[in-house]
Amino acid sequence: MADSQDKRGRIRRLWDWFWSPLAALSVGFTLLAGFLAGILFWGGFHWTMELTNTEEFCTSCHTMEVNLGEYRETIHYNNHSGVRAICSDCHVPHEWNHKIKAKIMAVKDVYHELAGTISTPEKYEAHRLSMASAVWKKMKASDSRECRNCHNFDYMDFTLQETRAASEHQRAIDTGMTCIDCHQGIAHRLPQGYLEEYQNVTEALNGEAAEPLEEHAAAGDDIRAFLNENKD
Amino acid sequence: MLNLLGTIGGNVLSLPGILGLALGMMTRQFWLGAALGGLVGVLETLVFAHWQFSQVEGMELAIAVIVGVCAGTLGTAIRRKGATV
Repeated sequence: MADSQDKRGRIRRLWDWFWSPLAALSVGFTLLAGFLAGILFWGGFHWTMELTNTEEFCTSCHTMEVNLGEYRETIHYNNHSGVRAICSDCHVPHEWNHKIKAKIMAVKDVYHELAGTISTPEKYEAHRLSMASAVWKKMKASDSRECRNCHNFDYMDFTLQETRAASEHQRAIDTGMTCIDCHQGIAHRLPQGYLEEYQNVTEALNGEAAEPLEEHAAAGDDIRAFLNENKD
Repeated sequence: MLNLLGTIGGNVLSLPGILGLALGMMTRQFWLGAALGGLVGVLETLVFAHWQFSQVEGMELAIAVIVGVCAGTLGTAIRRKGATV
């Protein structure tokens, strides 16, 4: 019997061992050990994934230096309240399913880092519009889900807001607009031709002509000017 | 393509993949394991759409169900291979 077992390949023996019954362990021991191992593995997996949500991890690539520099000049980085939104707060969903999907899709960033797609300022500028467009499309499609992790119309006290802001937020509620419709370019510089591109994104998602650009553009410009003036 | 891979990966590591596998391991009937996994796929899509059918995307629902069916079937195969009861 032993001779016949020795003739099996290493993988085959490992396979047979894996599926052989355990006579030495009780059901309770096996269940408890499996439960503990599950906690350890799942905890380790989750902890590791949370490490990839840190600002240090996100900006550890050379190609992220440009967006990091731009973001550091905005109110989401430095403000009077001391609350900071880091990269993952805006770019990584909180809900598990969407988060895993975002993490898997983010593998493309590693590829582009290695390929040097945006390794120089010139290349970065050449791709700025397409990168921004991809993010806008994601945000528009998800009703600005990541913005709403912190900002919510239901929590806003319009009496404490600037008159223009309160008016625009009320209009947004009334017309079913979403955050990114006006708040583009609040964390990174806007590319040339962003209005036309955002119109394309909106039309592609709605399958119809979007609302006139000028109306939202005016609101967006005001918002950016206000935030830049008041970020300290 | 990246969107498709991300959706598949998200479902494998979410309810359809994990709960589907667990439910599949609770039966020796392949059809039942697959059905339970597929059901989890439908429920998970609805949960993430906040129970609003209008928010359900066809592709996401299809991938969740397929992943659930595969996970449930695999769970049943594990049960048949690894348990005598």
